Amino acid sequence: MGKILKVDLSAGSLKSELVLEDIAKKYLGGKGYTVYLLHRYLKEYESKGILPADINPLGPENILIFATGPGTGIQGFPCSGRYHVMALRSPLTGSIGSANSGGEWGPFLKFSGYDMIVIEGAAESPVYLSIIDGSVELRSARDLWGKNVFDTCRILARRVGGKNVSVACIGPAGENLVSMACIMNDEHRAAGRTGLGAVMGSKKLKAIVVSGEKEVPIANPDKFKEVSRRCLETMRKNRVTGEGLPTYGTSILINIINAAGALPYKNWQSGVNPDADKISGETLAATYLIHRRACWGCIIGCGRVTRVPSGPFQILETEGPEYESIWALGSATGVSDLDAIVKANHYCDEFGMDPISLGSTIAAAMELNERGYIPKEDLQGLDLRFGNSTALVEATWRTAYKAGFGKYLALGSKKLCEIYGHPELSMSVKGLEMPAYDPRAIKGIGLDYATANRGGCHVSGYTISSEILGIPEKTDPLKLEGKAKWVKLFQDFTCVVNSTVNCLFATFALGVKDYAELLSAVTGWSLSEDDILRIGERIYNLERIIINKLGFDGKDDTLPKRLLEEPMPEGPAKGHVIKLEDIKEEYYRLRGWVNGAPTAEKLKELEIEF
Amino acid sequence: MPSVSVKILLFATLRDKYHTKELVVNCNGSIKSLIESASEVLGKEFLRDIYDEELGKIREDITLMINGRNIKDLKGNIVLKDQDVVAIFPPLAGG
Repeated sequence: MGKILKVDLSAGSLKSELVLEDIAKKYLGGKGYTVYLLHRYLKEYESKGILPADINPLGPENILIFATGPGTGIQGFPCSGRYHVMALRSPLTGSIGSANSGGEWGPFLKFSGYDMIVIEGAAESPVYLSIIDGSVELRSARDLWGKNVFDTCRILARRVGGKNVSVACIGPAGENLVSMACIMNDEHRAAGRTGLGAVMGSKKLKAIVVSGEKEVPIANPDKFKEVSRRCLETMRKNRVTGEGLPTYGTSILINIINAAGALPYKNWQSGVNPDADKISGETLAATYLIHRRACWGCIIGCGRVTRVPSGPFQILETEGPEYESIWALGSATGVSDLDAIVKANHYCDEFGMDPISLGSTIAAAMELNERGYIPKEDLQGLDLRFGNSTALVEATWRTAYKAGFGKYLALGSKKLCEIYGHPELSMSVKGLEMPAYDPRAIKGIGLDYATANRGGCHVSGYTISSEILGIPEKTDPLKLEGKAKWVKLFQDFTCVVNSTVNCLFATFALGVKDYAELLSAVTGWSLSEDDILRIGERIYNLERIIINKLGFDGKDDTLPKRLLEEPMPEGPAKGHVIKLEDIKEEYYRLRGWVNGAPTAEKLKELEIEF
Repeated sequence: MPSVSVKILLFATLRDKYHTKELVVNCNGSIKSLIESASEVLGKEFLRDIYDEELGKIREDITLMINGRNIKDLKGNIVLKDQDVVAIFPPLAGG
């Protein structure tokens, strides 16, 4: 079994522990093992009289964990260049913090000698962690504090050197404790959501640089070779993973989601964007795309390397924007200048911010402003109106530095809208801004948004796959009947993916059976499809227990008023709202929950030690 | 059967391959006649790309929407109306 690095930044101490096989058998690695550890910390704190509500997300008592899983970093394990990162509490939401990223850092952490890093406490002055061929050091980051993501990655990669070097870091947004600050790695990959960059910044941890050549063990190499070959062949032949995604990347979704009347426009006032084609994947490919890019070990290669050759939003080279980034910075804000969107996305990478939360927060501010709810003196000259590209780009860097009106944007849409007296204009769930699919037009994702443990999250239970793309089978997006079981299935299976840790996009071609065979071959355990889904369900329930303890339950499993009460004004879903109550009850029945909390019977059934 | 005028929108690799974003065709209201009429403009390969003649329906991995509704979600015999908008997508995905 692998090793866990335990870092106490307050004491400046470093310790190595073993990954425990009996925990890994129940929770796998990645998210699963991390959720187990976070729950253990909660119990320890409770035994010391520290209640969950007392844990300050930006205080030294918050815990930050980086994790890989049994599949990460194995050549031939589909799309295994990922890592998962979590915090006990998110500074944006107050609920659990959770994010996932690609690039090279996940595999290279494993090659450096560790499977996971658990970070407690806070340093007195800026530090970075260096792990080179198993040798660990905490070094001063005084010369790096204030530097952007690109400089930080390049300086540390050069300084540390060695084989397979990768840097995960925060930019100025994380240092400035911006609530939507993210953790970046390999310059342009992001563990984007729930403000984990601010957690890292509060701990004065600027970066983690890893380097090494350790081989990742495979229990049954011959069996693995056979299963891997079959899975990769399936992915190559599959028209999504073998053709669609590589050719266009995720931004190809703009037009199809808009055609379904579900592309949120101007802070979700509509699901139809008349300018969708201007900001589509087709337009990006025709104008700014240079070439595609793959994460470590990935045969899909959905990454985009792009440039804006001239004009006020010029950039010589950058990566992205992804579908979500284009939507949040573009459609949510009504901005239809793709070059401005590319520039704002570049700033998100440079300063380390989640474009989904940022774009949606700017959109909320635009609606507040257009309705006259923001005093002019607060704006300090920033002309925040829907469609204003210049204001979009300016608002982006202002947020990273909390400059002028940026100090309000940096709070996220929920607090921003509360300050200006209109909380209903924050399009968020549990404080996390919802991603790019309107539940009035795609109803299953609405149930997922309402019940996802980290808040308004699409990747927790990506029912879009079934409702729009027809994978694994087509369901009607305008119907809620039958969706509860799909949401549960997607949520449980995604926990497995995030605990393996590999990329969710592999599941456009691969299913539960493939994961059971791949994981069995790698671990040497005999895992059936039922075992896999049971592990996923266990992880989801334990994570739910954590958020229950943090104060979130059935009342928080809901959606913004706009989606529940304001009929979609146009498009194929015209007249629709989303009615959650009945489907939520069905979902709770399937989950074995009451009022959004697992019952004691359910926990016993899943063998969760509560 | 009366003739109806329908707008077809093409996306992603279909747009690239046929160098066309949209076209308006006349057909007798059936999906098959729509695709056949379009292939008279775009070439015979369009019919093969979109329609499975053996099974008598749109290819399984093609997404075809009529006024934003996926044909797989529509019940009964589908008859196109005048001014309907049909959007056709090859297999794609995202996040």
